[in-house]
Amino acid sequence: MAPHRRDPERAGRRLRDLLEQTQVGAVFLGALMRRQLRLSLAITIAFLVGLGIQPVLPVIWPGYGDASVLGLPLPWVVLGALTYPLLVVLGLLYVRRAEGIDDDFTDLLQ
Amino acid sequence: MIVSAGAVVGLLLMATLTVAVGAYARRYARTTSDFLVAARAVPPRLNAAAISGEYLSAASFLGVAGLVMQFGYDVLWYPVGYAAGYLVLLVFIAGPLRRFGAYTIPDFAEGRFGSPRFRRLAVGLVILIGLFYTLPQMKAAGITVSTAAGMPYAAGVAIVTVVVVSIVVAGGMRGITLVQAMQFAVKLFAISVPVFALLIHYGSPARLVGAAGAEPVPRLSAATSFRVGAGDLWSLSRPLTLSVEGHATATLLPPGERGGTARTTYVGVPLSTASQPVEPPRPVVLAGRSTVPAGRVRWEQDARVTLAAGAPVPFGSDTPPSSGSAWLHPFGPLAGGSGHPLLFTYSLIVGIVFGTMGLPHILVRFYTNPDARAARRTAWYVLVLVSLFYLWPPLYGVIGRLHAAQLYTTNLTDAVVLILPRQLGPPWLGEALAAVVAAGAFAAFSSTLSGLLVSLAGALGHDIYGRWLRPGASARARSRAFQLCALAAGTVAALLGLSVEHFDISILVGWAFAIAASSFFPLLALGIWWRRLTLLGAATGATVGGLAATAGIVTTMLAFASAPLARLLDAHSALAVVLAQPAILTIPLAFAVMVGLSLLDGRVPPEVGATMLQLHAPDRLGLRRDYVPD
Repeated sequence: MAPHRRDPERAGRRLRDLLEQTQVGAVFLGALMRRQLRLSLAITIAFLVGLGIQPVLPVIWPGYGDASVLGLPLPWVVLGALTYPLLVVLGLLYVRRAEGIDDDFTDLLQ
Repeated sequence: MIVSAGAVVGLLLMATLTVAVGAYARRYARTTSDFLVAARAVPPRLNAAAISGEYLSAASFLGVAGLVMQFGYDVLWYPVGYAAGYLVLLVFIAGPLRRFGAYTIPDFAEGRFGSPRFRRLAVGLVILIGLFYTLPQMKAAGITVSTAAGMPYAAGVAIVTVVVVSIVVAGGMRGITLVQAMQFAVKLFAISVPVFALLIHYGSPARLVGAAGAEPVPRLSAATSFRVGAGDLWSLSRPLTLSVEGHATATLLPPGERGGTARTTYVGVPLSTASQPVEPPRPVVLAGRSTVPAGRVRWEQDARVTLAAGAPVPFGSDTPPSSGSAWLHPFGPLAGGSGHPLLFTYSLIVGIVFGTMGLPHILVRFYTNPDARAARRTAWYVLVLVSLFYLWPPLYGVIGRLHAAQLYTTNLTDAVVLILPRQLGPPWLGEALAAVVAAGAFAAFSSTLSGLLVSLAGALGHDIYGRWLRPGASARARSRAFQLCALAAGTVAALLGLSVEHFDISILVGWAFAIAASSFFPLLALGIWWRRLTLLGAATGATVGGLAATAGIVTTMLAFASAPLARLLDAHSALAVVLAQPAILTIPLAFAVMVGLSLLDGRVPPEVGATMLQLHAPDRLGLRRDYVPD
């Protein structure tokens, strides 16, 4: 898609396609939605793995419950403190990438 | 409970501040759009503070600490789940829903499928969930005011209702945005600052957690007197020596027999009660210094009982105190008690993460953003703000296990945040900190309550009056309708709140979460991302999901009243776990019904192309159209 980026005439035609919902327009919109959805799913899965692995940790690693960092029990630190930064970082990653995808799409049409 | 002057001052100051900020913000609220969506002009950071303010309810400010004190590690899933709900909201819903320009879930239901009947179904659900969710806020108001300030329960409900209804009626969404942003700042300050004072006094977190985990049972840190009433139940995991003023009759119950009241957690997970063969109960008369054996004691008359410092704390419930080690480790009394710790933990996570997101007052706030870009950034700031907040409440629970163990006996662990700071000396410091946490608690229940009231009044005034009864009503009439509905909803909520003082309402909260997760979440996720979703599929799926969740919760409730059903659930404990926290099954069920029926049905809404374009076309293309005219 990149080579056509600065071609106002083609961009205008694409925007018309999009607004009039022609087949071409539907293909464009579908591509945008797929990229966004793929990003959303990737972020969600990354988080669910980070969170969902914690309940099985005591099962696969029996020492997990007794391990400690800086005198604090490891499970408390991981769940009660480290999970939040994971959320924040994944959220930031999402916002950046989602805005990037939107901007790419807009550039293509303008 | 001793009256704390500091707490009274804190509550009154916060109530005054809330009204003052509401009155200041009121000058800007004129149009319907101001009332409903704050004219969609709230900048992301202010909006994020307001959303966080609204989001951190009594359950977050008081409940999490109380549950950690009671159940330890397993409870940490609650705050993490509350925060994670926001990530899911951010990645799937915030941006597209804002672009769509709908104001409520009912707007979305109608706009996406062109069906006024679907709107009415959604309105009904919004009102049901909203009302259920106002109850714990009302109850928290009553309990805070009665435990912290020594006033009657009804006074708390009355104060919070008057304050909240007046700012909502006066300023609508525009008014509460500023109020809630201020309330977030108060809450963050009130939960974090006293922790530092407590840690300086009681020692580092590592020492505290270590000490709490090493104790076989929680012990009283000082000699304590309790007033017991006829029918009160104490559970003891070891023999206890106590001194009774005068004498009192009591019944010794062997461990295991069902008795007393069932208790459920904040999102409605019932705590398991063991049922074993029953020995006959044994009546005794206790006078002066006596020793009671491990097991349970049911007090048969009012008495005053004193326990020495270091005595093992009796729990004022059906479950005996758990050991420090069980409390400290994963799969402790909460998850482990269910018999299926993994299943329990996963269904808890799913229920909280997806249920939080479907609560009506949470989504409404996103329409107050100027555009989708702002909506996404707002959601991210919210993640940051609520994460900052949730670091603190568990620490109160840990300190409370060591230094406020008397709360186990009176079943007031939910008050640990309010009680602990007051115990610090010198008295001026204790009272000052008591004022701070009381103000924070007031901010917590009043901000969530005002958000719920706006969405209830929005559903009644905007959806039922403005779109159904009088579609042609003038802007002025619609603002008036919104105000009247806020007044009516506030009154109903207060009356309900007054009647639940002695009723365990957390099961209703669990119900609200389960319905939200199993009907609204699939509806939004598929409605936004899947163009082939049809009206039949969506409406049936949302209904089936909601009903299935309801069936699970109602069965759990009935088990408290019906012994045969309770025995059946005890025999099938995995079933009991899933029924109590049904989202893990009902969300996939709702998705399956929606997808399956839509594919069979095939009658995709004719407007779907335009709808999808509106949901997903980037802001800069300028295709947006809003439902509520500015």
